[in-house]
Amino acid sequence: MVPAEWYLLLAAAVFCIGLIGILTRRNALLFLMSVELMLNAANINFVAFSYQWGNVTGQTFGLFTMALAAAEVAIGIGIILVLYRNFDDIDVTKATTMRW
Amino acid sequence: MAAFDYAPAIVLLPFLSFLVSVGVAVSGRDLLPKGGALPGIAATAGSFLLSVWMFLTVSGGQYYDETIYTWAAVEGSFELTFGLLIDPLSAMMLVIVTLIATLVHVFSLGYMNDDGQTGLPRYYAGLGLFTASMLGFVVADNLLMAFMFFELVGLCSYLLIGFWFREAGPPSAAKKAFLVTRFGDYFFLIGVVAVFATFGTSQFAGAEAFPVLAEEVLLGEASANTFGFAPQTWFTIVGLLVLGGVVGKSAQFPLHTWLPDAMEGPTPVSALIHAATMVAAGVYLVARMYGFYALTPTTLAIIAFIGGFTALFAATMGVVKREIKQVLAYSTISQYGYMMLALGSGGYIAATFHLMTHAFFKALLFLGAGSVIIAMHHNEDMWDMGNLKEKMPVTYATFLAGSLALAGIFPFSGFWSKDEVLYEALVHGLGGLGGGEAEGALLLGAWAMGLLAVFFTGFYTFRMVFLTFHGESRSDTARNPHGVGWNVKGPLAVLGVLAVVAGFVNMVPVAKLTGAEIEFLHKWLEHGPAGLTSEHYTELTHEFAHYTAGTLAGGELGTALISGGVSLALALAGVGLAHVLYNVPEPTEHTDKLGGIKTLLYNNYYQDEYQVWLATGLTLPVSRAADKFDQGVVDGVVNGVSSVSLFSGSRVKQLQTGVVSNYAMLLTLGLTVLLVVFGLLGGWF
Repeated sequence: MVPAEWYLLLAAAVFCIGLIGILTRRNALLFLMSVELMLNAANINFVAFSYQWGNVTGQTFGLFTMALAAAEVAIGIGIILVLYRNFDDIDVTKATTMRW
Repeated sequence: MAAFDYAPAIVLLPFLSFLVSVGVAVSGRDLLPKGGALPGIAATAGSFLLSVWMFLTVSGGQYYDETIYTWAAVEGSFELTFGLLIDPLSAMMLVIVTLIATLVHVFSLGYMNDDGQTGLPRYYAGLGLFTASMLGFVVADNLLMAFMFFELVGLCSYLLIGFWFREAGPPSAAKKAFLVTRFGDYFFLIGVVAVFATFGTSQFAGAEAFPVLAEEVLLGEASANTFGFAPQTWFTIVGLLVLGGVVGKSAQFPLHTWLPDAMEGPTPVSALIHAATMVAAGVYLVARMYGFYALTPTTLAIIAFIGGFTALFAATMGVVKREIKQVLAYSTISQYGYMMLALGSGGYIAATFHLMTHAFFKALLFLGAGSVIIAMHHNEDMWDMGNLKEKMPVTYATFLAGSLALAGIFPFSGFWSKDEVLYEALVHGLGGLGGGEAEGALLLGAWAMGLLAVFFTGFYTFRMVFLTFHGESRSDTARNPHGVGWNVKGPLAVLGVLAVVAGFVNMVPVAKLTGAEIEFLHKWLEHGPAGLTSEHYTELTHEFAHYTAGTLAGGELGTALISGGVSLALALAGVGLAHVLYNVPEPTEHTDKLGGIKTLLYNNYYQDEYQVWLATGLTLPVSRAADKFDQGVVDGVVNGVSSVSLFSGSRVKQLQTGVVSNYAMLLTLGLTVLLVVFGLLGGWF
């Protein structure tokens, strides 16, 4: 049995990849992907702890997160479409017309 | 009680005519014949008949004091109500007001309709609303309701004075009348609130009426919230506050300045509002709550002194005026001074009596002046008239009757009432002086001014009569005047008869001389609901204000005869002087001989000027300073606070770049900082 630490390490690595993606990329689609990575890092944690303690609650949460991620992507794609329609681009740093 | 079921209709009928006239005015079409005069005449005549019915019922010993509608009630505290109080005083006033209103409506047919005036529905709407409000004021059974109708009356006065709003004078006069009376009413309003705060009620009649409560407080039988003052002091303050409204409406010094200007309105309006009824509202209010005023000697003395002073003050100004209506305006102010003098010196009946006779003869004089003005094609200058008695005998005869009454010549109505006023002031002044009261001297001073005013009254009245009707015609219009119709002569005839005979209801000197019981007005006002009778008022003035009757030589009868004789002699002297100076074919302006005094009188003692100075020279700078303080200090603090937030906001908002990556960075940094802080504090490292 693989010890839980390895899973946590994996999850931390995936989360950091997602975070760095958000901080460095300007493409909105890559944003969505990075968020997906961060969500799934959390999922790995849930499943790992669930396995560790022999409790299915964590896995249930994992399923919820997947559903939530699907919904989020649906909305995210919608936003990106509108972004493109308005700015002819999906560069997130260009959509700054509503600040002060 | 069948009669009293119809009492509200007295007020509602004129109000209905107001609504009809407003409807016609709004529709903009000529829907009614005579421009809406007929509904007005019908309504006021109906009110008059109902009032006579009330009068007869009251004389049968029945009174009415009912709350009709409670429009606000505070549980366990006080109620604000509309109600009717019909007792001898209000029944008498109802008859006077409705009678004169009816006659004025009829007269308006001749003055306004036959003259081809436009905007008549508006005019008749104003008259209707005025009559309704005045009647509402007369029957009001509590002070707050009285105040509300008092204000409505003032509003109607504004609307009617400014009827010819396209000219320059009337709108300005209307504003002045409204503002000056409002100034007084402001004190009245505070007085109403004070009455409520002190007694929790403002009813005039009944066991829980505020005059009754005030009496009990003074006797120590009850307590009231007097705001830390001694009850006597506090009641004096409240009485003076209410008196502010009275002084404004009844055109007493120093708030009399609006009334002469109000002559800019149509003459029937002057007759109805500025002589017979609205101006009477102030005096009537004092009479209505006389049970309260009788408790405070200081207030009574002030009322008497204001009255006596105003009587003389206004009479002197009437001497030099050129316009016929101006003379009448000053005589009105002067005559209301007499009523105040009577009220202040304990002569409740005398004041009521003079109120009644004055209503008749002054309405008559104004309508007579209106008739002259029709004849003169709206020229009011007496120096352009002359010899009109040949051309208009009916007007001359009635006007003469009214003038004799105004001048106080035996046996016309004014003689009896003015004589009684002066008699009351004299005996109570003598009594007070004999008893060593300071108010006695004040009363005697007021009496002396009132007595002197009799001479001036006789003089200016007959100067007016001689200039208008006697001598040679001094202009083409006077040689060839416009005729007047039945609708002018009819009201004049009715009022002319009343001006002659109205005094016979209360011939006190004759009653004293012969012992015959002919003082009908005394008997009339002696009965009434408990606490509202003249006997009760006499007791109150005696007990609380220490009014006792003093006498000159010859006891009561001698005093009455001396007082009447002296005032008659003075009036005759005034008339005689006017006869010598002005009853000549070609009169000249003898008042020019007065020199500087004439200028002073002609400019009304510069009363207007000093009041304008008060407004522009004193109030305006003060309000400018207040405005500066408001704009500078108060607004400065507020603006300072807001500019600090604006400035800091403009700096902090730079944080919001609108770039998602920056927000994500901030989030991450924030989380990291939080973790590090927790770690350091929690001892993870």
